Amino acid sequence: MLAWIPRGLSRGRVTTAYPRTPESPPEGFQGPLVVLEPGRGPAELQQLCPTGAITVADDGTIALDRGRCILCGACVRAQPRRFAFSRSFESAVSRRAELIQRSGAGVGGSSAALPEDGIPRDAQLRRARAALGQQARALRRSIHVRHIDTGSDGCEEWEIEALWNPYYDIARLGFQLTSAPRHADILMASGGVTAPMREPLLRTWELMPEPKALIAVGTDACSGGLAAPGGLVAGGIDQVLPVDVYVPGSPPAPIALIDALLLAVGRLRAEVRG
Amino acid sequence: MSGPVNPAPDRATPAPAGGLPGQLDAPLLPSPAQELRLAVGAGQLAGAAVLLQAQGARFITLLLAQTPAPALQAVFALGGELVVLRASADGEPLRYPAISAVIPAARWAERELAERTGVQPQGLAPGVALTTPEADLLDSTLDGPDVFTLPFGPVRSGVFEAIQFMIETGGEDVPRIRTRPFFKHRGLEQRFSGMTPEAGVHVAERIAGIAGVAHACAFCQAVERALGVGVPPAAERWRVLHAELERIACHLDVIAKQAQTTALSVGHARFQILKESIMRLRVQLSGSRFGRGVLVPGGVRAAGALPLARLRAALDSFEQELRHDERLFRGTASMSDRLIGAGRLSRELLEQLGAVGPLARGSGLSVDARHERPHGEYSRLGLRVITAHGGDAMARVDVRLREIGESLRILRQVTDRLADDGTELLAPLPSGASGDAFGWVEAPQGEVVTWVQVRDGKLARVHVASPSLRNWAIFDHAFPRDVLTDFAFIEHSFGLTAAGADR
Repeated sequence: MLAWIPRGLSRGRVTTAYPRTPESPPEGFQGPLVVLEPGRGPAELQQLCPTGAITVADDGTIALDRGRCILCGACVRAQPRRFAFSRSFESAVSRRAELIQRSGAGVGGSSAALPEDGIPRDAQLRRARAALGQQARALRRSIHVRHIDTGSDGCEEWEIEALWNPYYDIARLGFQLTSAPRHADILMASGGVTAPMREPLLRTWELMPEPKALIAVGTDACSGGLAAPGGLVAGGIDQVLPVDVYVPGSPPAPIALIDALLLAVGRLRAEVRG
Repeated sequence: MSGPVNPAPDRATPAPAGGLPGQLDAPLLPSPAQELRLAVGAGQLAGAAVLLQAQGARFITLLLAQTPAPALQAVFALGGELVVLRASADGEPLRYPAISAVIPAARWAERELAERTGVQPQGLAPGVALTTPEADLLDSTLDGPDVFTLPFGPVRSGVFEAIQFMIETGGEDVPRIRTRPFFKHRGLEQRFSGMTPEAGVHVAERIAGIAGVAHACAFCQAVERALGVGVPPAAERWRVLHAELERIACHLDVIAKQAQTTALSVGHARFQILKESIMRLRVQLSGSRFGRGVLVPGGVRAAGALPLARLRAALDSFEQELRHDERLFRGTASMSDRLIGAGRLSRELLEQLGAVGPLARGSGLSVDARHERPHGEYSRLGLRVITAHGGDAMARVDVRLREIGESLRILRQVTDRLADDGTELLAPLPSGASGDAFGWVEAPQGEVVTWVQVRDGKLARVHVASPSLRNWAIFDHAFPRDVLTDFAFIEHSFGLTAAGADR
């Protein structure tokens, strides 16, 4: 038993400094999809995607919905000059429309989809992330997170659990996992909401005190993903409850989940102030 | 239900002498290698199943096929082959005596089929609906002043998949427990229909995300066997490489959870670190932490950016770290004290209930699809099947720890036979072809058997027999002398996934 103590100390610190310093994925990581310049193409491009994430407008503008994208890479392989995997972890946004990606404008970035304050999404995100990191540290040991599986494929659970492993250790940012919904500030829901999980989801959310934030974890939770058309799955958490933060990915990597949690903290703070 | 079976000798060729098990006199249908398809009458299904079991066959699954008439297929593992009893309806409504009345392992498969398709077996034991669970339905069965029913799940404390356990207890001992799966049934088997095999593999990867490589592998093999496609040898090796890394990650996850439940925080942290290092290695090899997007019917897609020399070096340093932690873990009395004797299951019971995976091997059953019916690269690797004889949670942890060592040995063999050059990795599928076949692999949780029917180049029907569904059915028996506080140890020692069971 005592031998574990030197063993625990022998390997030094492995924990990431994220979000204080950015963390870039290893070479070859397949991050959120981007539409490349010039961003126009024929309507047939829509056929490439098994989940209907790609749409082409009448004027040929290509839009890619990251909330539907399962990162299968079919479009990247067929049209490498139009679509690419980005090499970044972060994918969280606070409004569903912001997940729709068009070329040259970042996520949600056509001028029509700009956030209300008019600040471009990427700059806003960088600034918000830095500020939220500060806030989260100031709230040390006071943000309680509850998880509910509403029909995931099981990967999301691994990645959420990894948040408390020594590499990511989000307890250092003040996030604690709680089993009691009545103690929870943030609910992380994974899965497209199967029929038997609809009621447990509603009940869990109801039990949480205000202010509270709901995170849709993974592409299935954002849109239903591949399981959607059968009718057995509601097609995303927001078909049942209003969602505060969407973090697509199949599944989203732990760093993407930290990013989502920080965004959710921002929503909690806004609610307290507002 | 026993006695010789004499099904009507319809359509197919008569069975070759000696090619069929014992007294089972059923016509042999055209079958791909390592499959024996026998035609039986629906009324003889249960009897034939009993004969097969007497020969040592292990029940796997039951499914309804359209060939083109509706046909029941009961699937067994026997020797180095899959034996498929096919009972065709031939224009009449399908009626058959319940197989589960004579083979308990068929209990959930039969119930699921009945509830989904309406094909009701005669003599099926009554019970609450399996596939449409209601979280609030208490369904108590035991009487007594001090016995109460504790519904545990589907929302549980911690980060868990949705599944429910109806625990009837007097507070300490657990006289009765029933596992309720299907809270997360996503209809994935139906989702395959109409897709191309290339697109279908994305669905297969999501049946059980943490065993996505295994499910993709079983699916791809089934498609390849159905269409007669030969996979390039280098692609077979890459498949083994990704599958064994997945096995290591899943086994480490179980061991980390056991360390956590025995309040061994440094041990928990250490095994989490080891698991994360494997997940990061998988990103470098595939672009995905779960090895997604690599397997495709016909072979594999070009592998990741990691040179093989660096992969070997990474595996060496991983093994060194693992050995150190394993030694400490095995020497920690507070851990083994909780696991030894917990959830003890006898070899006979597990054999009867059709257990697979580390659960079966922990009770001395040598059940491993990689060894029973070696396919692809596994037939060239000289795999050792790891078993233990304790039959308890400790034995299952022991099997997993030793299997990680065996996986590392296989990984070294495979990487030595791979080259960094651009060898061909993908064979084309014939366009517009048709056929049906089974594919199988040993997933970290146990044997996956997938049946695929391709019609004119598109997937017509896919059925997945997941290890999680078969082994969850056995969880009801896992508390012979154990108390409620042993629940977590026993559950983790099963190491299953609800997504895989529910599909």
